Amino acid sequence: MFERIILSLIFLTTSPILGGILRGMDRKLTARFQNRIGPPIIQPFYDVIKLWSKKPIISSNLQPVFAGLYSLLSLIALALVIFGQDLLMAVFTLSSADVSMILGSYSIRSPYSYVGARRELIQVLTSEPLLVLTSVGFYFATGSFGVSEILGLGKPLILSLPGFFIAFLMALPIEARKSPFDISASHHAHQEIVRGVFTEFSGYSLALIEIGHWIKLILFLSILGLFFPNNLLFGAVIAFLSYFLTIMVDNIFPRLTWSAMLKGVWTISLILISLNLISLFGGVLG
Amino acid sequence: MTEYFTSSLIILPLFLALISAFSYNRTLRYVLAYLTLTSLTVMSILTFIRAQGVIITLDYPSQVGLIITTLDMLLLLYFLYVGIKKRHVLVVILAFLQVIPLIHLETVIHEVRASPTFLIDPLSATMCLIICIIGSLIVVYSLSYMEEHEKHLHLKKTRQPRFLFFMILFLAAMNGVVISNNLYWLYFFWEVTTFCCYQLIRHDLTEQSEKNALLALWVGLIGGVAFIGSMYLGVYYVYSLSIAEILRAKASVYIPLTLALLSLAAFTKSAQIPFQSWLLGAMIAPTPVSALLHSSTMVKAGVYLILRMTPAMSNFPALSYCIAAVGGLSFLSASVLAINQRESKKVLAYSTISNLGLIILCAGINTPLALMAAMFLLIFHAISKGLLFLGAGVIENRVLTRNIEHWEGMLGKYPLSAMVMLLGMVMMYLPPFGMLIGKWLTIESASSLKAISIPLVLILSIGGATTTFFWSKWMGCMLTHPPALFELKPEKIPFSYKLSMLTMVGIDVALSIFAGLVAAIIDLALKVLRGEAPVPYSLLGIFTDMGSFLTIPLILSFLVAIVLALVIARLRGGSMAPPYLCGENVSRDPYSFISTVDKPVKFDVSNLYFDRSLGSPSVNKTLTLIGMILLAFMFSLVVI
Repeated sequence: MFERIILSLIFLTTSPILGGILRGMDRKLTARFQNRIGPPIIQPFYDVIKLWSKKPIISSNLQPVFAGLYSLLSLIALALVIFGQDLLMAVFTLSSADVSMILGSYSIRSPYSYVGARRELIQVLTSEPLLVLTSVGFYFATGSFGVSEILGLGKPLILSLPGFFIAFLMALPIEARKSPFDISASHHAHQEIVRGVFTEFSGYSLALIEIGHWIKLILFLSILGLFFPNNLLFGAVIAFLSYFLTIMVDNIFPRLTWSAMLKGVWTISLILISLNLISLFGGVLG
Repeated sequence: MTEYFTSSLIILPLFLALISAFSYNRTLRYVLAYLTLTSLTVMSILTFIRAQGVIITLDYPSQVGLIITTLDMLLLLYFLYVGIKKRHVLVVILAFLQVIPLIHLETVIHEVRASPTFLIDPLSATMCLIICIIGSLIVVYSLSYMEEHEKHLHLKKTRQPRFLFFMILFLAAMNGVVISNNLYWLYFFWEVTTFCCYQLIRHDLTEQSEKNALLALWVGLIGGVAFIGSMYLGVYYVYSLSIAEILRAKASVYIPLTLALLSLAAFTKSAQIPFQSWLLGAMIAPTPVSALLHSSTMVKAGVYLILRMTPAMSNFPALSYCIAAVGGLSFLSASVLAINQRESKKVLAYSTISNLGLIILCAGINTPLALMAAMFLLIFHAISKGLLFLGAGVIENRVLTRNIEHWEGMLGKYPLSAMVMLLGMVMMYLPPFGMLIGKWLTIESASSLKAISIPLVLILSIGGATTTFFWSKWMGCMLTHPPALFELKPEKIPFSYKLSMLTMVGIDVALSIFAGLVAAIIDLALKVLRGEAPVPYSLLGIFTDMGSFLTIPLILSFLVAIVLALVIARLRGGSMAPPYLCGENVSRDPYSFISTVDKPVKFDVSNLYFDRSLGSPSVNKTLTLIGMILLAFMFSLVVI
C-alpha cells in the first residue's frame, strides 16, 4: 500500500518531465519525417524555461490565472487516475481544465483568440463524449469506474473493448493537437490562423499552458495503458506506439474542417462503440 | 403541534399573500417579503427536521374539503371565462373537460377513501425546503427588481402588490402540491400553480405576454385533464383517492394508465417535449417570475410527481422506459438547441428543459442510484438555476438587452452580478459542484442496465458535451474585457439583490462541500419512499458499488489550484499589451486595426450559434412531433 502510494507520487511528479520528453521526441521525429535534423530531445524544456524567464506581457490579467488553472486542473485529473480514483470524475476534471483554457482565451477581446477559443470548444465537444464513453466502456468490461478496481482485473481489456480503444485513439490527435484534428491550434505553422487558441498567451502563461499540455498527454497515454491492466509495461509500450502513430498521421494528413472532424469522429466512433457494446452484451466479446 | 406545522406551510404564505395584495406601501411590501423569507425558512426547516424521524400525516374534516371543491370550481369557471373572453377555443374545451367530470365526480367522491389528506415524508419535506428557502429568496429579490422594472415601464400606478400576491401564493400552492396525499387536493393545488403561472406571465399585460400566458394556460390545463382522468381511475378501480394507496395497488390493470396520465401531467408542468413551448414563451414575464418557475416551483412540481410515482413504476418497466425516453429526448435536444440561443433567458430555459429531462430520465431508470442522481440534480438545479436568473435579471435591468452577444465583458462592468452568474454557470456543469455530482451519478446509474444502457450512455455523453459547449461560450463572452488591468470593483446594488444572490451561492457551495451529508439525507428520503437502501455514504464523499466521488479532497485540491493560479498570476503580473492584430493596431483604439489606405476599421468578435443547422424553424416542429409519437406510444402501451 505504502509502496504503491510512493510509486504513484513519483509518477505524478515526474509526469510533466515525461510529457516534455515525449514532446521532444515528437519534434525530433517530425523533423526526421521532413528531412530535417530537428532540435535535441530536451528542447521543450529549454523552450519552457525561456518562456518563463521572458518579460511578462499580458493582454488581460485573468489570462495567466486561467493558464495556471489549466495545468493545475490537468494535474488533478492525472492524480485522480494515478491514485486509482473514479475514471469518470477524472474525465470531468479534465474537461474543466479544457474549459479554463478556453475561458482564458475568450477573456481577451482579440479576433484570433476568439476564433481559437471557438474552435477549441468544438474540439472539446468532439472529444468529450468519447472520453466519457471510454470510462463507461471500462465499467462495462470490469464492473467498476474506479481505476484501482480496473487495474485489479487480470485480463487485457482490449479484447473486450476494441471499439472503445479505436474511438479513444481518435480522440488522441484532438487532445494532442495533431492533424487532421488540430483545428484550434497546430504545431505546424503553415496551417495555422496566427497561433489559434494560444494567440494571446505569451511568456509564463504560455509556459504554463505547455506544461499543462505535457500533463494531459501523459494522462491520455495512461488511460490508453488502462486497456492492458494485466501488463502495464506492455500497455505503456502500446500507448507510446499510439502516440508514434499519431505523429505519423499528423505528418501525412492535412487539417480537416471542424465540421468534417465533428461529423466524422462522432459517426465513426459512436458506431464502433455501439457495435462493441452490442457484441459485448451479446456475448461475442469476453 | 404537528398539525400546526403541516397546515401552516400553506396557510401562512396564503395569509401573507392576501395581505400583500393590498400592500401599496413600499415598506409594507418589504416587511411582508422578509417575513415570508424568515417564517417560511424556519417553518420548512422545522418540518424537515421533524420529517426525518416520522412521516407526518394529517386529515381534514369533509367541511374543509367542501371549501376546496368550491374554490376549485371557481378556479375552473375563471379559466372558462378567460377562454371565452380571449376567444381561445382550446382553453374553453380543456376547462369544460374538467368542469363537467368534476361535477360528476362530486357525486361519487364521498364514497371513497382519501386519507390522509396531507402526508409529509422526507421527500416532500426536502421539496418544501427548496420551495420555501429558494422561493422566498426570489420573492425578496423581486422587491428591488420590480421597482427597477416599473421605473423602466413608467407606470402611473404600481402593480407590485398584485405581483407580490401571486408570487407568495405560488409558494403556498407549491407547498400544497408536495404535501398533499389526497389526489383531489393535489389536483386543486396543481391548478392553483397553473393559475399563478398564468397571472405572472401576463403581468405586464402586453400583447405578447397575454399570448404567451394563454399558451402556458392551455398546456397547464392538459395536465389538469390528465389529473381528472387519473382521479376517475382512482375512484372507480382502487376506490381511493389517496395517492399512497393508488400507488400501492398492484392488482389493478388500470394502474399503468393512472401512472401514464399522471406522468403526462408532469410532462406538461416540467415542459418536457412535446410541451416545451410554454416555458420558452414564459420568458416574456419579469425575471423573478422566470427564476421562480425554473428553480423552486412549477417545473419542479412535475418532476416531484414522477419521483413520487417511482416505487409504483418499478412494476411496469416498459412504462418506465417510455418515461425515460421522453426525459432523454428532452435532455439531449434542449441541450443541443441551447447552443443556438442568443437570448439570455432562452439559453437558461433550454438548459432547464434539458436538466429536467435528465431528472425524468433518472426517474425512468428507477434504480436507487438513479433516484439519488435525480434528487441531486433536482436540489442543485433549483439553487444554481435560481442564481442564474437572479444574476441575469440584475444585468438585464442595467444593460436593457437580453442578447448575450451584447453582454460582452459584463464581469468588468457589473462585477458582483456577473460573478454570481459565472459561478452559477460553473455550478451547472463543472466539478466539484453538486450538479456535476448528479450527472456523474446519472451516467454511472445509466451504465448498470446492460443492453438498455447503450442508448442511454450515448445520449448522456453527447448531451453532456453540448452542455459544456453552450455554457462555456456564454461564460467566455461575459469574461471578455478590454486590454486593461482587470480589477474587481465593488458594485452598487440593492441589499435585497445581494442577500438573495449571495445566500444562494453560499447554499450551493456548502451543499457541494457536504455532498456526503446531502447524499445521506437523500438516502433516507429514498428509503422511506421505496423501502430500499441505496448507496452507503460518508462525509468525505459519495461511494457507490461502481465508483467513488471524494468530494472534500477534490474540493480542497481545486481550491489549492485556484489559489496557486492566482498567486502565480499576481507574482508574475505583466505589462499590458493590446491584442494581436498582425501589427496593424490603431494606437488609441484597441478595437480597430489599420486596413487598406491606412484607414482604421473596427473589428468585431462573436460566438458560434450553428444557425444553418440548428436555427431552422422545422427543428422545433420535428421535436414536437417526435415527442407526440413517443407519448402516443406510451399510452398505446398502457392501454393494450
